[in-house]
Amino acid sequence: MSESILETRGLSKAFGGLIAVDKVDMAVETGKITAIIGPNGAGKTTLFNLITGVYPASSGDIFFQGKPLKKEHAHTRATLGIARTFQNVLLFGNMTVLENIMTGQHPRSRYGFLESAFRLPKAHREEETISLNAMKYLNLVGLGMHAEQNALSLPLGQQKLLAIARALATEPKLVLLDEPGAGLNILEKRELSDLIHRIRDMGISVILVEHDMPLVMGIAEWVIVLDTGKKIAEGTAAQIQKDPKVIAAYLGEDED
Amino acid sequence: MLERVKRKWYYSVIVSLLVLLIVIPFDWFPGHYTTIMVLIGINTMVTVGLCLLLGYTGQVSLGHAAFYGIGAYFSAVLSKTYHLNPWLAMLIAAIATGAFAYVIGYPIFRLKGNYLAVATLALGVIVYILFGKLAPGGPDGIAGIPNLSIGGFAFDTWFKRYFLVWGFCLVVLLISQNIVNSRSGRALRAIHGSEAAAESIGINVDRFKVKIFVLSCVYASLAGSLLAHSMAHISPSSFDPMVSVIVVVMAVMGGLASIWGAVFGAGIVVMLKHELLLGFGELEIIIYGLILMLVMIFMPEGLFVWLKSSYVKLKELYIRWRLGQIRRGAET
Amino acid sequence: MSADQFVQYFISGLTMGSIYAIVGLGFTIIYAVTRIINFAQGEFVMLGGMLSFYLIKSAGIPLAPALILSVLITVVIGAIMYLLAIRTARHASVVSLIIITIGAAVFFRGIAGEIFPWGVDIVRPPYFTGSQSIAFLGAYVHPQAFWIIGTTVVVMILLHLFLTYTMVGKALKACAISPVSASMVGINPRTMALIAFTLAAALGGISGVVMAPLTLMSYSSGFMLGLKGFVAASIGGFKSPVATVIGGFTLGIVESLAVGIDWGPFTSAYKDVIAMTVLLLILLIRSGRLAEEERMS
Repeated sequence: MSESILETRGLSKAFGGLIAVDKVDMAVETGKITAIIGPNGAGKTTLFNLITGVYPASSGDIFFQGKPLKKEHAHTRATLGIARTFQNVLLFGNMTVLENIMTGQHPRSRYGFLESAFRLPKAHREEETISLNAMKYLNLVGLGMHAEQNALSLPLGQQKLLAIARALATEPKLVLLDEPGAGLNILEKRELSDLIHRIRDMGISVILVEHDMPLVMGIAEWVIVLDTGKKIAEGTAAQIQKDPKVIAAYLGEDED
Repeated sequence: MLERVKRKWYYSVIVSLLVLLIVIPFDWFPGHYTTIMVLIGINTMVTVGLCLLLGYTGQVSLGHAAFYGIGAYFSAVLSKTYHLNPWLAMLIAAIATGAFAYVIGYPIFRLKGNYLAVATLALGVIVYILFGKLAPGGPDGIAGIPNLSIGGFAFDTWFKRYFLVWGFCLVVLLISQNIVNSRSGRALRAIHGSEAAAESIGINVDRFKVKIFVLSCVYASLAGSLLAHSMAHISPSSFDPMVSVIVVVMAVMGGLASIWGAVFGAGIVVMLKHELLLGFGELEIIIYGLILMLVMIFMPEGLFVWLKSSYVKLKELYIRWRLGQIRRGAET
Repeated sequence: MSADQFVQYFISGLTMGSIYAIVGLGFTIIYAVTRIINFAQGEFVMLGGMLSFYLIKSAGIPLAPALILSVLITVVIGAIMYLLAIRTARHASVVSLIIITIGAAVFFRGIAGEIFPWGVDIVRPPYFTGSQSIAFLGAYVHPQAFWIIGTTVVVMILLHLFLTYTMVGKALKACAISPVSASMVGINPRTMALIAFTLAAALGGISGVVMAPLTLMSYSSGFMLGLKGFVAASIGGFKSPVATVIGGFTLGIVESLAVGIDWGPFTSAYKDVIAMTVLLLILLIRSGRLAEEERMS
């Protein structure tokens, strides 16, 4: 087995009395596409929020490339190389499409208030690189034509692509996609799985939370199943589809 | 291409503003217009600071008069009572205000939205009361504050102060414009857009909030120092909580997220206050109240920005109408 | 401080605390139902007090009807404020709503300074029942203080009954807990918001009317009273009316005792500084939880 980029040990999160994530042990392999699935309320998004540091874990540990992550702030984790998208997209509505991605370059650039205030050469140099890189990611997701548009003027499908581009612009080692397929049509979903493959081929490990089973089964190289905060199964797509525990967990609710 | 067009527009604004500034104070304006222009410059500096904080970063401050006042009082006391060089006094005032803003910034920016608004308001009230109780001069304030001077050249007339103040003001405007269109500026706007998303791409939200708060307070402090050295007299009432509200009015008029809008907002409000509504008593604050409500309800992006976009829309309509005319002409 | 003095300060603290409590209740009700901090809450108090003076002195209306009329006018102003300024800005951000209610506050203040014939002077409406102080536990208490405390108690009881036993009151509570579920069972959140603003204006008007004879009133009194009411509400955590009332009494008594102690140069004028410091401390101590709450909602 190759080394894991992310590992959790006994990771738990309780909100008051409600245990959203319950002692999850998991290892995510470097350079693979891993999917986390489970019925509604299984704790998938909470798990993402724990990994990216939106809120602290109640107990347990997280390791990123072997290093403990628990004490790091959310923004430090992004700098270390963990990027993410959000279920509700959360683009910066007060910026253009290109600026959204340029903002994503934040952890890979350094110049600050002083250099920008007086337009020092360092600012110019870095700004050049930032916009070049931003264009690169913009073209990667096929939004090159919309660079100067306001981010929220895009249709939902493109907004989601933009959010992925913004995450990629942080030049991560691991990217977490929270329901990237929700609200997309069949064509867009095909483009999406294509894009996820390309991201993987860039050497970036991918974890995605997704409800669309055909999409997950089509691209995921490893699937982890959560139910009521606990990990109930993991394996390849084929193994998961036959797992009686998984079938039982899903029988409880309507499949779309 | 677009970048170049933008920059051209940006420089043409600066150049026309510069020309306007040099021309305005001359003879053909009655004397006290120069004084009003000085006040507009000073108020613009405070407003730009608030725009960076409120308009770009989305963080409310209802206590900006406090920092304006701290700058003014430091300058006044150091230069008058301790006979320090006014420039040095101004520098120390800015550093002290910045340090104060930094120290209270971290705890206060753990608050958001409504609570941040109330906390900054409370801070403004405390500082205002302390000006009247602890600062020299008490409620009467300090008079006889020396002028700023370079070598033997003292800024002792309004005409001279006009250039001094607008020199400072232009530097502040340019610095702010540069910041807004930079990595730091994008980080600030990102915080306004979504704090969660900003954190997720590596922006240290707390630190950026504090940094922009410090910068904004330093602007206010510099403006306060200029006020003290220009008016030669300051008193607590120049920095009461209502002044903080008036700064918000200026920012709202200018368009919260617009650097050059601040000049417009400060200009209109100072004109109202010192010219049009002089002697009309409380009519002034009635108008402020109406401005705050109407602008926020009908044009939340601010009056100046609203006017600008309305102009663009009108132009579009005109072009469409002209095109239609031409087409009709071609058909017949 | 002797025991008698203590009682004296305690009672005057209780009196002011009652005022803060009612003003704080206005904040709490509006915040619970609409998540808006109404920065114009203190202006309702000012309007109540100023109107009562105007109606009695200038319009010559007898005391009792003048008081009732003052409260009614304040209520109408509160409702109009909601309908014109808040409802029209329904999709406004938190920052916009803050600025709108501040605009309303400044507007009311300006109007009060402009339309009343005595302009910006401080006024004192007549006492309800004379000014002969009453000896009470070794202290002398002004009869108006009894009116203030008594009114607060009555208002609290009425408010409690209203929220617990009437349909509208229950609907308000439901809306405070979850606007979404409330609207699913047919409660219109906008109607509830209107009622909340009306109720808050009534509370403000009542407190203004009863306090003005003792504490005096001017067009600019609303600002500080509003802030003090906010302190009361934030001590109570913006949760229950009871907690707000306790918060109001706490603030009133702390302020009053702090004034009673000789602080050297830190004398009576520091009352407001103390109240504001209390406010800042409470907000900062609670900041972790407040942030958590906002993230959840």
